[in-house]
Amino acid sequence: MSTADLAATRRTSRLALHDRVALVLALVAAAGSFGAFLSIAPNRLADGRPLTLWNVGLSQTAIVLALLVLVFMAAFIGDRTWRSGALFASGAGLLISMLLIAGTAAAAQLDPQEPARRIALGSAFWILFSVGVLACFQGLQHAARIWKALLSLALAAALIAIAASGELNSLSLAREFHAQRATFPTELLRHIGLVAAAVVVASFCAIPLVLAAVYRSGARSAIFTTLNLLQTIPSIALFGLLIAPLSFVAAHVSLAREIGIGGIGAAPALIALVLYGLLPLVRSADAGLRNVPANVQEAARGMGMNAQEIFWKVDLPLALPALVSGLRVVTVQSIGLAIVAALIGAGGLGTFVFQGIGEYALDLVLVGALPTILLAVAADALFQIVIANVRSRP
Amino acid sequence: MRNTSEHVLTRRISRRGFLASATALSIREARAAEPVTVASKIDTEGGLIGEIMLALLGAASISTRNRLQLGPTRIVRAAILSGAIDLYPEYTGNAAFFFAMDGDPVWKDARAGYERAKALDLERNKLVWLPPAPADNSWVIAMRADFADAHRLSTLDDFAGWTREGGAVKLAASAEFVESQSGLPAFQQTYGFSLDAGQLLVLSGGNTSATIKAAADTISGVNAAMAYGTDGALTALGLRALADTRHAQPVYAPAPVLRGAIMEAYPQIAALLAPAFALLDLDTLRRLNEKIAIEGREARLVARTFLQQHGLLA
Repeated sequence: MSTADLAATRRTSRLALHDRVALVLALVAAAGSFGAFLSIAPNRLADGRPLTLWNVGLSQTAIVLALLVLVFMAAFIGDRTWRSGALFASGAGLLISMLLIAGTAAAAQLDPQEPARRIALGSAFWILFSVGVLACFQGLQHAARIWKALLSLALAAALIAIAASGELNSLSLAREFHAQRATFPTELLRHIGLVAAAVVVASFCAIPLVLAAVYRSGARSAIFTTLNLLQTIPSIALFGLLIAPLSFVAAHVSLAREIGIGGIGAAPALIALVLYGLLPLVRSADAGLRNVPANVQEAARGMGMNAQEIFWKVDLPLALPALVSGLRVVTVQSIGLAIVAALIGAGGLGTFVFQGIGEYALDLVLVGALPTILLAVAADALFQIVIANVRSRP
Repeated sequence: MRNTSEHVLTRRISRRGFLASATALSIREARAAEPVTVASKIDTEGGLIGEIMLALLGAASISTRNRLQLGPTRIVRAAILSGAIDLYPEYTGNAAFFFAMDGDPVWKDARAGYERAKALDLERNKLVWLPPAPADNSWVIAMRADFADAHRLSTLDDFAGWTREGGAVKLAASAEFVESQSGLPAFQQTYGFSLDAGQLLVLSGGNTSATIKAAADTISGVNAAMAYGTDGALTALGLRALADTRHAQPVYAPAPVLRGAIMEAYPQIAALLAPAFALLDLDTLRRLNEKIAIEGREARLVARTFLQQHGLLA
């Protein structure tokens, strides 16, 4: 095809698709918006009747419709800056309007005659809210790092302000959270403390394993076979399996008992998290250290460095991004896995998850699950910033 | 105030033998009034009774640490045995499970079962069982009322017969109910039926809201549910408990269980808890549980309101 032909086709198809993701998001949102936006149940246990977004009110319908059209149109905007701007604006608009509409619609559904009535968020809310999050991400994809940080912080602040304003208090999720407010801070700190301790301990345990795997070829396969095997044990089983040996230790070693090691609580949870954390740490560090180019090492040797100097001044700095990304995987993984710790008396956010599962109160499950997701996302973002800085260093 | 310093004193005296060999750190620890760690199982009633205990201890100026919703029975039991927690509500019938005496008929008698549990735990584990509530929260098998009517099932004998003839039963139950000798196995032996793994939906927690909901909505084909006889959720969701005419079940009366050392340090706990536990009969427990699990009220407030209504809390 000649250049003239190309130019001609471009001119004839003026409506060119420039962002497939945005188009998919718009279509998913449109389809999802017909599901239940809110679900109104006579009490906490009974099933609710659905209320769709299009029945909430005329102005609300118009706002959401306009935002969805904006997402759809963004897919066809040629200019990248404009497209990104439109996507972020519509995404942020969706997030804010979803919260406000859900809050006011729920308040309107409350009935003083029926104090047990529960108004839960339905599938349409979650789909549109997720589309909003993804549209924001897509819109920020090509933005400068400083804009990414500023805009996401501003948006997060806006959403937190809405939640804190009491606008959402009629929702079942807010009521479950309210009921747990006395214990929530303790369990949140317990969760974070458990994960932090696990990451630190796992990192120290990983050091000798990495050194052995990289510099002693004989140990390598044994180490990886063992760590891979550990990874295959289902988490609930590993947490449970540690109860017996630790109870034994606590019963026979008084020092262990004095410092609080026992068959239940933090000790088995910590050990389980450390065991799961070892594989990603050792694997990424191993890959990082082994991928140091041979010619770089040779050049260092040529400059007169001994083996130790090569390790500290060449190998380690070059492997640093891989080491940090290993830490990132372990942190995010531990935040999720620590949920199970609640089953063996170690507390944490899993307490709400399992209490909610037991009571069939799904909003109580979310009281534990949503902060866990947010923690994981925050930790991931933090590590991404660290990795970017480690990489960009000369 | 005078009271508190007296307990600290008793506690110190009782600990003297231990202190002689202990470090300066633990002496300082013993001097400060150690908080009582109150725990419960991870279920509605555990949370309710736990909050009642927390409120009563707090009102008597005993400092407490809240470990409610700690975990399933085995975990909570292991925790009190190791001293990680000090006080929690336990059911008299569960002593059969703890001491591997499932076959003993003593557990089917409220009074004798409590006395046996109390004696065994004091002797073997230095755990004190305070007088139980006058409620029997034993397990039942419940079915959808319309389904039970259609198949003419009202007692467990009817259920056993129907199951033996190949009735398509699927029972949702907790792991504890399925494993514990006094749970499903007792029903199966007494009434002569047996359910295989395919006829069971086993949940890890002990809460009946999930099992009842599963049966009410026939989730995953479930049409029968493990429940507690007094569950408020049963009637709320249209389920009926099948009558245990042959008394397969031991009596499960909730009682405060605490470590001997705590009992010595705070002997007034017995008198503090007794009046509230005496009020917790079947109906009261069902009503209070329902407020939490069905109406979605806060366990702490339900507990405090109940105590205030009976003049046990200011």
